[in-house]
Amino acid sequence: MARNLMLRWAKAPFYFNSAAHLTRIGNQRATTLGEFAQAREKVPEDAIFQHTFQTLQEHHYIREGFSNDFAHWTFASCNEIELAERLSSVDVREYTSIKSLRDRVFGIVSEYLNRNERARERAAFEPFYFCASDTIVIPTPWVARNLAEFTDALRKVSIHSIHYHFINARLRLKLNTNDFSLWLENDLELGALADRINRIDIYTSTLNDVRNQILKIVENAA
Amino acid sequence: MPEKDKKVTPPAPSEPIRGVKASVETDSMIERRNTEPATPPVRERRKYKVSETPPPPAPPPKLNDYASIIGQPEIDEIRYIARLLRGKTVKMVNSTAVGGGVAEILNRLIPLMQELEVQTKWEVITGGNDFFEVTKGFHNALHGGDYHPTKEIFDIFLMYNEQNRQRMEFVEDIFVIHDPQPAALIRSKERNRGKWIWRCHIDLSNPHREVWNFLKPFIEQYDATIFSSPAFTRQLSVPQYLFYPSIDPLSEKNKDLDESYVQKVCDDFGIDRSRPVITQISRFDRLKDPVGVIQAYKLAKKYVDCQLVLAGGGASDDPEGAVVLAEVMNEAGDDPDVIILNLPPWSALEINALQRASTIVIQKSLKEGFGLTVTEALWKRKTVIAGAVGGIPTQVIHKLTGVLVHSVEGCAYQIRYLLTHPDFAAQLGRHGHEHSKENFLLTSNVKRWLILYQQMLGLNKPVKVT
Repeated sequence: MARNLMLRWAKAPFYFNSAAHLTRIGNQRATTLGEFAQAREKVPEDAIFQHTFQTLQEHHYIREGFSNDFAHWTFASCNEIELAERLSSVDVREYTSIKSLRDRVFGIVSEYLNRNERARERAAFEPFYFCASDTIVIPTPWVARNLAEFTDALRKVSIHSIHYHFINARLRLKLNTNDFSLWLENDLELGALADRINRIDIYTSTLNDVRNQILKIVENAA
Repeated sequence: MPEKDKKVTPPAPSEPIRGVKASVETDSMIERRNTEPATPPVRERRKYKVSETPPPPAPPPKLNDYASIIGQPEIDEIRYIARLLRGKTVKMVNSTAVGGGVAEILNRLIPLMQELEVQTKWEVITGGNDFFEVTKGFHNALHGGDYHPTKEIFDIFLMYNEQNRQRMEFVEDIFVIHDPQPAALIRSKERNRGKWIWRCHIDLSNPHREVWNFLKPFIEQYDATIFSSPAFTRQLSVPQYLFYPSIDPLSEKNKDLDESYVQKVCDDFGIDRSRPVITQISRFDRLKDPVGVIQAYKLAKKYVDCQLVLAGGGASDDPEGAVVLAEVMNEAGDDPDVIILNLPPWSALEINALQRASTIVIQKSLKEGFGLTVTEALWKRKTVIAGAVGGIPTQVIHKLTGVLVHSVEGCAYQIRYLLTHPDFAAQLGRHGHEHSKENFLLTSNVKRWLILYQQMLGLNKPVKVT
């Protein structure tokens, strides 16, 4: 039975890709929270992506205390602990567009500054430098036509591939899911397995942990 | 008399040894010391001799040699990105073939690019002493130093750039010009089809206005610029990319060492590894605050047992370095647990061993570029305490990959805390290693260069992620 599940053919194969990034430094910077709030409409979408989705990959090995660059800056450079906590709680998995993510981040900052007017002009220890990410997609040789091939490939791909399929996929798909779960559900009709994988917590797991948890979930199901 | 008010009086070589101090000296240094006034005034416990001249360089590693470090998938991705660039030609230009960080980076980068069949040629500009005096002045001025440029100074800069421009051929697909010295080579842009990139390795956050205003029109003719930190940039009309400086994990300074070699180096220098070892590796330069490090050590030592190793160079060939070393010796006093090492520039293996033998690595700089000694320590999984200046906060994320400090007292407290909380200290070290692996290795930069080349040549188009 288990062997049958691992070898069941998918309706369509899963092609593993990876991604590489180049960071562009923008000309915008904020030396106070007030300046940061004013940047709301000027900051390009790929900057919001860089400081939320992309920074998760750059700091993928930290399980505690790092969520996004905005939260880190308000904590480390502005010493606004409450604001940092609230920004830390922004979970990129809940956003399928950068616009809604931008609204959430700057909404939290605006609301905080309305209640803490003096924080608006207080100079930050270090400015916030808005950067942006240029992403290119890299095909890999790994293709999965069943769960056995899927787990084999998952062991071999880089963490950048896992980030691309498991985290960045939400923006591409415009769905609250990821490439792996979507394939399991649509092409292998394994909805429950797809759900379990989609519930893996990326904020308390490193990308290697994510890899291991997916493998464990699939192998246990089989 | 308060300790800080004591006059710095370096001991003569014949003075009895008071503390536990070791020095590293070459034959010529020993000979010079016997015939000249003692400079630097290092009291030595033993003479740990190293080679008079640098050892011949080891052959550069191949890309696959890095697979055990970054994983085969990463290597495959680099090869895939390079595939589209096979046969493309790149010319890198800087101002020195040996010595200095840029030459060190190019020596490791170019063989890997050649292996990937991206034909990369490295040329060095030439100039008279007057040119290099001007560019040294520019360098200091761009770091915010005092400078009084004249028309003659600017003319010297332009004349040598023009001479080099006439001498060189510009037939490649991409030109990468490193730092301000050759920046005016951009005048050849109109004559060729290639793309031009300016790689700035220095901190331009607070430049001398006149010098920057002179250089800026050249810089803005480039197709792209690269900086080592967002904090080092200026407002420019051309794209600015972020390339962190990088270390080579297979170089002598960073490669894995046999435990027996680490022990031998410690034995030679008189370091007791059964007790905590705190180390700062830096030139004897006031901006590295070695005296502040000793003061922090003294404050911490009231509560925790430890030894302090201050290892660096610059005291033999730099008069100011010798003065700073004397100040350091004075501050250390007779404490046998302060070990001061004035090392020659080719001591990479010894420095590697000292870093690996350390319980904590300090970089208590008051001003810093990117701070590659911090990167080296992070790579070796060391707990790092560092000043929150320059590029250090990019590497040391406070309480995640190390700790940042702003004062002697803060540094002392962190020494005490980390020596008494080894689990937390070890976690910082693990995170620091991963941080350096992800962001600050040579292989990460190879990938960045390849992506940038592709973009410059229109061979890829970034995907829209939003």
